[in-house]
Amino acid sequence: MEKEFHNNLELNIENNKHTNMEIDLLLEAIYRLSGFDFREYNRSSISRRIYNRMRVSNIPTITRLLEKVIHEEVFLEQVLNDFSINVTEMFRNPSFFKAFRKDVIPYLRDFPEIRIWHAGCATGEEVYSMAILLQEEGLLEKSVIYATDMNEHVLEKARQGAFPIQKMQAYTKNYMLAGGVHAFSEYYNTDHQYAYFHPSLLKNIIFAQHNLVTDQSFNEFHVIMCRNVLIYFSPALQSQVHMLFYDSLSQNGFLGLGDKETLRCEGIISKYKEIVGNERIYQKLY
Amino acid sequence: MYSKLKLGIRSKITIGYIVIILCLLASVIILNNQITSLQKERNFIIKYDSQVQALTNSIEKYILDMESSQRGFIITGELSYLEPYENASKNWKVDFNELHQLLDNKPNQQEKLEEIKYTIEHWVATSGDPTIKLKKDNNTAELTEFFKVDIGRKDMETMRKQFASFRSAENALTQTKANQLDKKNSNLTSGLFGLLVLVSFIAIVIASGISRSIVKTITEVTEAIKEIAASKANHKGRIHVKTNDEINVLADATNELLDTLEEREWLQSNIAEMVTKYQGISAITQLAEIFLSEIAQMTKSSLGAFYVREMNNNDIYFVKKAAFADASDNIGVERFKIGQGLIGQSAREKRVYMCNDIPKDYKVIGTGLGEAPPKCILIIPIIFEDEVIAVVELATMNSYTELQQELVKQIIETFGLTVNSILGRMEIVRLLNESRAMTEELQVQSEELQTQSEELQMQTEELTMINEQLEERTKDAETKSRELEIAKRDLEESAEQLLLNSNYKSEFLANMSHELRTPLNSILILSEMLAENSNNSLTEEEAEFANVIHSSGEDLLALINDILDLSKVEAGKLDIIFGEVNVSEVPLLLEQIFSPVAHKKKLEFQITKAENVVDVFYTDEKRFQQILKNLLSNAFKFTEKGSVNLSIEQLKNEQLTNNMQEISAEWLEITVSDTGIGIPKDKHQLIFESFQQADGATVRKYGGTGLGLSICKEFAKLLGGWVSLKSEEGKGSSFTLTIPSLPNGINEERCSNLTFAEVVATTVVNDPIEVIEGPIEESHHDSQNEVDVFQNKNILIVDDDYRNIYALKTALEKRGMNILVAKDGLECLDVMQTNDKIDLILMDIMMPNMDGYETMSVIRTQMKLTDLPIIALTAKAMKNDRDKSLEAGASDYISKPLNLDQLISVLRVWLVSKRS
Repeated sequence: MEKEFHNNLELNIENNKHTNMEIDLLLEAIYRLSGFDFREYNRSSISRRIYNRMRVSNIPTITRLLEKVIHEEVFLEQVLNDFSINVTEMFRNPSFFKAFRKDVIPYLRDFPEIRIWHAGCATGEEVYSMAILLQEEGLLEKSVIYATDMNEHVLEKARQGAFPIQKMQAYTKNYMLAGGVHAFSEYYNTDHQYAYFHPSLLKNIIFAQHNLVTDQSFNEFHVIMCRNVLIYFSPALQSQVHMLFYDSLSQNGFLGLGDKETLRCEGIISKYKEIVGNERIYQKLY
Repeated sequence: MYSKLKLGIRSKITIGYIVIILCLLASVIILNNQITSLQKERNFIIKYDSQVQALTNSIEKYILDMESSQRGFIITGELSYLEPYENASKNWKVDFNELHQLLDNKPNQQEKLEEIKYTIEHWVATSGDPTIKLKKDNNTAELTEFFKVDIGRKDMETMRKQFASFRSAENALTQTKANQLDKKNSNLTSGLFGLLVLVSFIAIVIASGISRSIVKTITEVTEAIKEIAASKANHKGRIHVKTNDEINVLADATNELLDTLEEREWLQSNIAEMVTKYQGISAITQLAEIFLSEIAQMTKSSLGAFYVREMNNNDIYFVKKAAFADASDNIGVERFKIGQGLIGQSAREKRVYMCNDIPKDYKVIGTGLGEAPPKCILIIPIIFEDEVIAVVELATMNSYTELQQELVKQIIETFGLTVNSILGRMEIVRLLNESRAMTEELQVQSEELQTQSEELQMQTEELTMINEQLEERTKDAETKSRELEIAKRDLEESAEQLLLNSNYKSEFLANMSHELRTPLNSILILSEMLAENSNNSLTEEEAEFANVIHSSGEDLLALINDILDLSKVEAGKLDIIFGEVNVSEVPLLLEQIFSPVAHKKKLEFQITKAENVVDVFYTDEKRFQQILKNLLSNAFKFTEKGSVNLSIEQLKNEQLTNNMQEISAEWLEITVSDTGIGIPKDKHQLIFESFQQADGATVRKYGGTGLGLSICKEFAKLLGGWVSLKSEEGKGSSFTLTIPSLPNGINEERCSNLTFAEVVATTVVNDPIEVIEGPIEESHHDSQNEVDVFQNKNILIVDDDYRNIYALKTALEKRGMNILVAKDGLECLDVMQTNDKIDLILMDIMMPNMDGYETMSVIRTQMKLTDLPIIALTAKAMKNDRDKSLEAGASDYISKPLNLDQLISVLRVWLVSKRS
């Protein structure tokens, strides 16, 4: 059974044209059913997620999967969940946060209000990291962090501010490497499963559902963080989202990307300058 | 070409010199002649003069000899003395003739000579010869007589005078001649100077003439060159020389040089310009376009195409990247292979092709006004490292000059490198982008992998947990199996007992209600009779009492009936008899029953029945009616004003779910709606429970047992349907009974499944379970797992303050941890030597002997325990301490004074088993 399934899978991969069509249909169906638009996502990633789902649920073809998606609401949810990759950690790439603290915070101090947008915040680890950073820099009070994601489930998790306790050792290291000035444990309580971050951090965080693919900008921001989100998008979609960010940034605002990402989008790149080498922090010039 | 050259500088100079030399020669000859004649004259004079002198002297000597000889003889008489006389008289005439001859051209002197001759002859005749004769005759007297007269002496003196005059005349003549010579000589000298001046003059004139003619042209040339040099722009100026000499040649050569220079400069500047155009180009198409447009402009081409080599499935193609002055938007083939056509041939042979004879119908060069075929075509392969990497084809309406060809050739030489570098750059850019994309892709994959691994981890952990639990359970099962068996037996017994009890209870209740009803009946009947007060034997008040007794009795009866029904249902004793029900009768029946109530409470009461409702419906009529009655009486009970409506509808096919259709094709939906007090949302579930009303206040106000709805629910279930509720507090409620028509009775299992599902789907609008679930469960698990995290963990506290140790020890031991203690770093290391099962160290920093930093360093570096969690206890607000402790290898830090919750949190974080 297992082997046969794998054979099928290989056959599918070989039969690229059909596979593409099937994926097109599936994504179209998902878009129509749920409003989530994955059509312009990075195809290879999406197809891996699909095959993964097929493997786990033992579904031989994408068309069968499509059928299930259309007829079983629960399954649609499942697939949507599969598509949403929510890998994140607190103070991810600590050097980024260190650089942010060193090179961006001084700019922000002078603003009467700081609006920060975490686009694609997933389960909110980076949002809390930012809140902690701002707190330590004495800027949290005048900051508003808009944390958005298209996935309502992960947003709900983010709102709770509870992160698996197993990850806290790594987070503590990250925090210290990112230049944290207090004891990390001052920010959370624990039980056997989770570390709960203090609700005071949440005071100026607004969690909202927002889909980068389909939704428009909703404010003007001084900082936009969108780390390791755009890598899931096709180049065209990346450009579109970069335009959205550009339009949403205030003059001299900052854009933070993931460490493996680059501002490749042709028309936009000249309008930014990278203020910290290799940390992917860009400042909008004009 | 140079035939015109007749008077070159060389000939000019040569001629000049020749002229001068000739002049010199002439003057030398003249001088020579003069000098020679002078010499001759002088020689002549000298010779003549000396001859004349000699002859004169000789004559004079001869005469004197004769005189002396005469005298000698006369004196002596010896004949020997006469010998010289004889000689002299013979010879002097020879000399005289000679002299006479010499003086041919001097008649005056000849005359004097004649006179001398005469004198001599006179002497000879008068004195010589006679005396000699006298002597010879010895006529001494006569001699003496003679000498007494001495005519000879007079002749001698005359002769002497004549000689003197001759000599002086001769000398004067010689002097004249010498003077003449002197004059000639001076003439000659002045002539010599004159000649010198003349020759010099001629030489100067010739020299200046020649030099002027040379310098003039040179100056002209220089001026022209200066002018050319001064005009920086285009070296259009040329040197014009009118003369036909070497300067002209030089000018021509210079002009030629200028031409060459100009060409070369044109080449260079064009090449340079070309090269500058390449700069900053990153795409081959762009390069090709710029190259074509530039080269077309430079070579005055009217058509051009640019092909670049591409590999396609191991075949080498040349693909068109740009075209110049594309006439029909499509010049040339889009691609060609090596060797295909002339252009392909050019690519193969790596050589330039130029075709001049183009057929008339060849590709046309288009302008806005018309089209024309090209006259000349140039195909140039672009070579890099001995490989053709691109081919350019150009066409013109004129023909390509050598210069243009040279330009093309030179440009092409370096262009290969450019094309290659741009191709290389494009490749690099492509690879860079690819690598960037791949980096991102890697990131995506790594994130996906992380997600998957997290999922896997989760599953693994779940599995591990389940496994552990299973193992435990297996053990438990083994040890407890006997107990379980016993317990099972007990349980079975008690279950039976329970069932029995429950049945007993229900039966008891059923019987009890029955037993209760019997006396109640009499009370009801009697109280009603009393209340009627037919005899008027009771006071009004007493009659009212009787009414109260009656109504209370009825309530009681209703309650008893309800309890009976419910217990019957629960005991499973309620018999359901499915049969025909005439639905059309239902409204009438209900109206009869409830119209009075409505009237009494001044409520509107309306029953509507949809048209599509079937007449005959199969269900248990009694229970069906009972449900409706219950719902209606409920509605009336809780409605103060407004209306109560009942509507009967049959569900349409499309409204039925699959499951419903399986049960029956006909479903009725009877809705009782009111405008009463309504039910709050959180109570919707509750009111279907036995003995429940929305809240206590309701009970007090409206009375009732709260059994009605639970009975409805149970009955509806028995009939294969369900009751659902929509209600809003204060606005009224509407209960809907949905039941199937079941001619063949009910299939229990199917219906109960369905009912559950449907009820969940319809009535449970706001699911309260979710809210309650979380925290309760969590806190429950909490205490269980809490023990697990801390249980039997070995914590080493390193602190020199005993009070601190004590406080910590107590707090931590309470949670099941084993506490080890060290008073300083050294002791800490000792403890660690003997005990290798330490799970975590709490490390104070300020300690005697060995402080915290040092201890941590030793643990990390010497003992190599890099993963052992060490929590440093630092003083608050001492950032330096924290940095130092991190540097020393602390895993985390916590500031003193310690907050126990925080400490516990940190301990949890560092004691929990890491997932990854």
